[in-house]
Amino acid sequence: MSRSIWIVAEHQDDNLHTGAAELAGAARSVGDHVAAVVCCEAGSTVPAQAAPFVDQVLVIENAALSGYTAGLWAQGIVGLAKESAPAAILLPHAPLGRDLAPLLAARLDAGLLTDCLELQWEEGLVGLRSVHRRKLVSRERVATPIAIATCQRGAFAASPAGDAAAIETASVAIDDTAARTRLLSMERAEVGEGSITEAEIVVAGGRGLGDAEKFALVQELADAVGGVMGASRPVVDQGWVPHDRQIGSSGVTVRPRLYFALGISGAVQHVVGMRESDVIVAINKDPKAPIFEYAHYGIADDVFKVVPAVIANLNS
Amino acid sequence: MRIAVCMKAVVDSQARIELDGDGNLRQDQLRFEVNEYDLYAVEEAIRLAESDEGHVTVISAGTADAVQGLRKGLAMGAADAIHVDCDPDDLDASGVAAVLAAALHDGGYDLVLAGVESDDLGGSQVGVLLAEALGYASTTLVVGTNEPVDGAMQVRRELEGGEHANVQVQFPAVLTIQSGINEPRYPSLKGIMAAKRKDLAVKGLADLGFDGAPARRVESLGLTIPPPRELARMLEGGAEETAAELVRILREEEKAL
Ligand SMILES: Cc1cc2nc3c(=O)[nH]c(=O)nc-3n(C[C@H](O)[C@H](O)[C@H](O)COP(=O)(O)OP(=O)(O)OC[C@H]3O[C@@H](n4cnc5c(N)ncnc54)[C@H](O)[C@@H]3O)c2cc1C
Repeated sequence: MSRSIWIVAEHQDDNLHTGAAELAGAARSVGDHVAAVVCCEAGSTVPAQAAPFVDQVLVIENAALSGYTAGLWAQGIVGLAKESAPAAILLPHAPLGRDLAPLLAARLDAGLLTDCLELQWEEGLVGLRSVHRRKLVSRERVATPIAIATCQRGAFAASPAGDAAAIETASVAIDDTAARTRLLSMERAEVGEGSITEAEIVVAGGRGLGDAEKFALVQELADAVGGVMGASRPVVDQGWVPHDRQIGSSGVTVRPRLYFALGISGAVQHVVGMRESDVIVAINKDPKAPIFEYAHYGIADDVFKVVPAVIANLNS
Repeated sequence: MRIAVCMKAVVDSQARIELDGDGNLRQDQLRFEVNEYDLYAVEEAIRLAESDEGHVTVISAGTADAVQGLRKGLAMGAADAIHVDCDPDDLDASGVAAVLAAALHDGGYDLVLAGVESDDLGGSQVGVLLAEALGYASTTLVVGTNEPVDGAMQVRRELEGGEHANVQVQFPAVLTIQSGINEPRYPSLKGIMAAKRKDLAVKGLADLGFDGAPARRVESLGLTIPPPRELARMLEGGAEETAAELVRILREEEKAL
């Protein structure tokens, strides 16, 4: 019997998110029929954009579905899944999946595996998840007839584009008066002049710098190497530096020639924003910090000892 | 406004994580702390409650390790606490949501806040599952709240790459709270003293109408230590030596400076 895996297509402003091809790749790793479910308004080109990556596109069309509204997308997908009973439904471990996947799980009485790094099929959907701050991997299996999972961005090889799959419009009724959350507006990111994304050298500091005053060391090294200062999220959250300096999934993505990570642990949400840099240098006093897995050069020592020595060395 | 906040005792970030001979997490060297995201949730609840003389209840499902977090929530300013006494190893995320819902369903809450995820297991699903179990609306990744108007609240939801969505949520609702929304207060000495006199109700699963732990939807197949990944070229020696070597490499080998 063929095993059908659905992916929920993520899109904005009529553009399919590039992560959809990865999600299709994840679905192929455990299924032999892959369908993309697209919630959109009539006339959207998103179904056609998804078609090359999957075997079938199922479109749930309604004027109320143009922006993401949890309850309405859930209504459509749950309605369709109850009719067609896919083996699993996959979403990105991103704002869409964090919001929608547990809604689908609750309404389909399904087990949910989040932030999966790898999927397997062993009498049910098995997911590998990183736990305890990446020190352990947990293998978990969904025990319900339909499985839901969210996949970590970048963890799965993208499905190559092939022939465009057939696009079918599903007939599910959407009652848009039933939504208890409503999207009012979107705020786009502001990309300032001379922003960090254009810098050739980025010197980023993390919570390991201790406080706002001591964080000045990051700017000092940036000045010494002619680079731009950046930061991890806790630094921005605590107001040491403005938000446009935040690197990572909820900040900016940078690809400089040289990247310094000072007192940054290397959480996945940070790493996705810098791992493409040409040369990565990490200085962290914990020799087991995950950042060393991404760096090309590492120094397991105190930033307050090493960085002043680096600056002195550059100036001599 | 009546607000409940979910708190979890998570394995301390500094704790030694080791497996025993059977591949189970060695419990003897674990230490617990409050999940950081939950502290943002407690702070937000207290601020919202302060503006309209509301009532904040903190709740945690877990072993006795959960009590320390609840005490902290009370010391920060919550009015009372509920400890659902159970072994979290017996529950999956849907089970945790079910027991929390059973303890909260007759509390008449307008809002339930939870952290976006837990620092140790990173499940990021209990908040929304709890909303569904209670029949509440939900939204996630909240980095800003507004004064409620006509039984609804406008919240700011964080998306990726610096984008945000403004979402209108009808009460009652569950919001999952993301860091950056506020700076959690440190409990004052007065707060810590006052917390000792506040009501901390303990409820077992049987008190909440469960006959044993709720059935699992997700089963654990075991924990493993990830294979070591290729590491950076580590520079050894004292700070002077490693700094000099780094500058030399970046200048001469990488030609990056
Ligand atoms: C939905 C979501 C989105 C997120 N988006 C982002 C994002 O865009 N960007 C981002 O960065 N994070 C993001 N995060 C947060 C992320 O999960 C981590 O919490 C964060 O990256 C940790 O920052 P850090 O490495 O600075 O702090 P920590 O993890 O606390 O690490 C501090 C490090 O400093 C080291 N250290 C301490 N003192 C010293 C010293 N004196 N010398 C040398 N080293 C020292 C420690 O060993 C430790 O490794 C997001 C999280 C979520 C849930």
